[in-house]
Amino acid sequence: MNFLFNEEQTSLGETVGQVLADFAALTAPDPSRDSEAEVWGALAELGLFSLLVPEEHDGVGLAFVDLAPSIEALGSGLASPLIASTLVATEAIKRLGSSDQRAKLLPEIAIGETAIAIASAELGRGKDPFFAECRLLDGKLSGKKIAVAGADVAQELLVIARTESAPVLVLVPTDAAGVTITAHSDIDPSAGLCRVVFDNVAVAAGQQLARASIDALDTLVDLGATVHSGMAMGIAEVMLRRSVAFASQREQFGKPIGSFQAIKHRCADLAVAVEAGKATSHYAFWACSENSEDRSGAASAAKAYCGEIGCNACNDAIQVHGGMGFTWELGLHRYLRRAQVIEHAVGSRAWHYDRVVTEALAAREVENAAHRDAA
Amino acid sequence: MDFNYTDEERKFRFELRDWLASALPAGWGDTVFEPEDEEERYLFRRDWDKKLSSGGWSGINWPVEYGGRGATLVERGIFAEEMARAKAPESLNIIGHNLAGTTILHHGTQAQKDRFLPPIIANDEIWCQGFSEPNAGSDLASVRTKAVRHGDKYIVNGQKIWTSYAQYSQWCFALVRTDVDAPKHKGLSFLLIDMKSPGILIRPLRQISGESEFNETFFEDVEVPVENLVGEENDGWRIAMTTLAYERGPEDCLGRQVRFKQEMEKLLEVCSAEPTANGVLSDDPIVRQKLGRSIVEIEAMRLVALKSFSRIHAGDERGPDASVIKLYWSHAAQRMNEAALDILGPTAVLAEGDEDAKASGRFQTSYLQSKAFSIYSGSSEIQRNIIGERMLGLPR
Repeated sequence: MNFLFNEEQTSLGETVGQVLADFAALTAPDPSRDSEAEVWGALAELGLFSLLVPEEHDGVGLAFVDLAPSIEALGSGLASPLIASTLVATEAIKRLGSSDQRAKLLPEIAIGETAIAIASAELGRGKDPFFAECRLLDGKLSGKKIAVAGADVAQELLVIARTESAPVLVLVPTDAAGVTITAHSDIDPSAGLCRVVFDNVAVAAGQQLARASIDALDTLVDLGATVHSGMAMGIAEVMLRRSVAFASQREQFGKPIGSFQAIKHRCADLAVAVEAGKATSHYAFWACSENSEDRSGAASAAKAYCGEIGCNACNDAIQVHGGMGFTWELGLHRYLRRAQVIEHAVGSRAWHYDRVVTEALAAREVENAAHRDAA
Repeated sequence: MDFNYTDEERKFRFELRDWLASALPAGWGDTVFEPEDEEERYLFRRDWDKKLSSGGWSGINWPVEYGGRGATLVERGIFAEEMARAKAPESLNIIGHNLAGTTILHHGTQAQKDRFLPPIIANDEIWCQGFSEPNAGSDLASVRTKAVRHGDKYIVNGQKIWTSYAQYSQWCFALVRTDVDAPKHKGLSFLLIDMKSPGILIRPLRQISGESEFNETFFEDVEVPVENLVGEENDGWRIAMTTLAYERGPEDCLGRQVRFKQEMEKLLEVCSAEPTANGVLSDDPIVRQKLGRSIVEIEAMRLVALKSFSRIHAGDERGPDASVIKLYWSHAAQRMNEAALDILGPTAVLAEGDEDAKASGRFQTSYLQSKAFSIYSGSSEIQRNIIGERMLGLPR
């Protein structure tokens, strides 16, 4: 057992961070999507999208956990959530796709030609990412999804829908007849959140991912939750770094404000939260990678906890920066906005804490049964 | 990153699991529990410590030459998990193993190692810690207990406070002032004091929980042979920092996490049995939010400790990350104890001895005990200063 990333995993993350740092618009005070296509191209050139693709499909064949530092870098760099959703979809297709689907999609993904937006959230059922009113009946998909990041520039949509009897994951090209995509007016205009309406969209049997099963949904939610926990920690880390840097140089009462315990202790608490959040997130990446028994519990723990830490870190950073903290021009608002997008993607904190309890009670049952058998 | 276990490690786990099943009384944790009386509980834990050492499960991470197993960090993690699973009793000699032993391993002479380490691992000698004083709490370096050298002896005079287990201990390691003229950090020494020495008076202090685990310890002309000085005279602060790094470090956290996990399991058990108007407590969405967050934090405690283990294993020095660990577990555990009472509703106020108390009142006792977590081993405010200044580099 070893709970540290190896050099390859770490340097991959650093490289992703460096590539993103070349695009100042990503973290500039004015939220924009101006550099989105260029960033995508640079990351594709780096080979980011080929990393999770198995070698047989022209990829590098890395494990999910190998990307954890890179995902954090995507969070820190405020990269488009479509990048992360494409990586989640890659792993989902790898695990749940038929051999035809894998052979067709994975090589395209590897070279950065196919971006995949994940359509899960709907109106009318609060926080539950499993819930879908979108119906797939007689090969036709109808319904409405909201907050689909990057749907307007993606090539494919991975949609959580349901047949009459079961949940189902379907892949729908964004240019299919009956698909209408409109941009939301939203809290983070750089995230590219869209409303997607399906009006009797024809879906062939080959577009369904895996057998219709709750396990497939669990897999998608666990992967998505884990990746979002990583991005939240990327944000939290930037907030810590910037708070410490500001508190070290900003002077009041003739001293750097970081020498005052009111500020110093806030920063220390933030550092502790970053350490604890990263530990849960990193473990979730490993649990997803290995399909360990506690995968869902670990993923939900990470999403709930890191989402909370990411949002709180932004609050702390703004407070430490004082009057500057809530100006537009300093740009801290960009992280605050993105932290909220992350918090509410793939199920909010409340839903994931609830799922942690479900998983813990189920694990207790298993343990008790084993205890009874032994007795 | 890899959490998989090797065959060897799995073998270690099952060997320990089997041993625990045979060593603990039948029905342990279900129908048989620790004695409630403090004195009886002390005797019970003393016996349990003896059992651990005779079974070869004491001080597993110590080098083989001093009776340990030279256990790897993975095996330590497994050990903690299995102790939790078996609801094993707490060791009485944590201070001996974690603090006295490790400090002597780092800084002791060969003669000190030979004299003191075997009885610690055998749990024949229990240790207490003589650091805090009435006027040296957070400002530990201002200790006033004085040790004056006379020939081959130090004569110690002064008072220590919050000395946990002093009443059960055979030995005490103490931070004493050997040079009153030097700057406060430069005039301290680290002494090993035989608690049977004439001139030691122990007065129990009653804690918030009503128990008397800690004490005031008075030293009046207590003679300590100079061979019981650890390190150089006046170099005691540096030695004490090693002790504190272990007191606040991942070993300590992992051991405690075992207890907190047991508490969490107990809380889940109560919540899944306790009826409400429409089901049981664990069906209540508000209860579930509180439970969920605490489950995550107790697990994060384990992960934070394992991460620190991995860093140490990879060759990193022990440093301010010990303060991160201490600060994290103390507040996370307090939050769990708060949540437990919050969840229990009207029975939250019923304590040990009441027939309607849940889980024999253990949540109430733990709640009261948990108030100490953010104060001892360096208060949270001190830990935040250390993290802020030494880890984040903020100005003093």
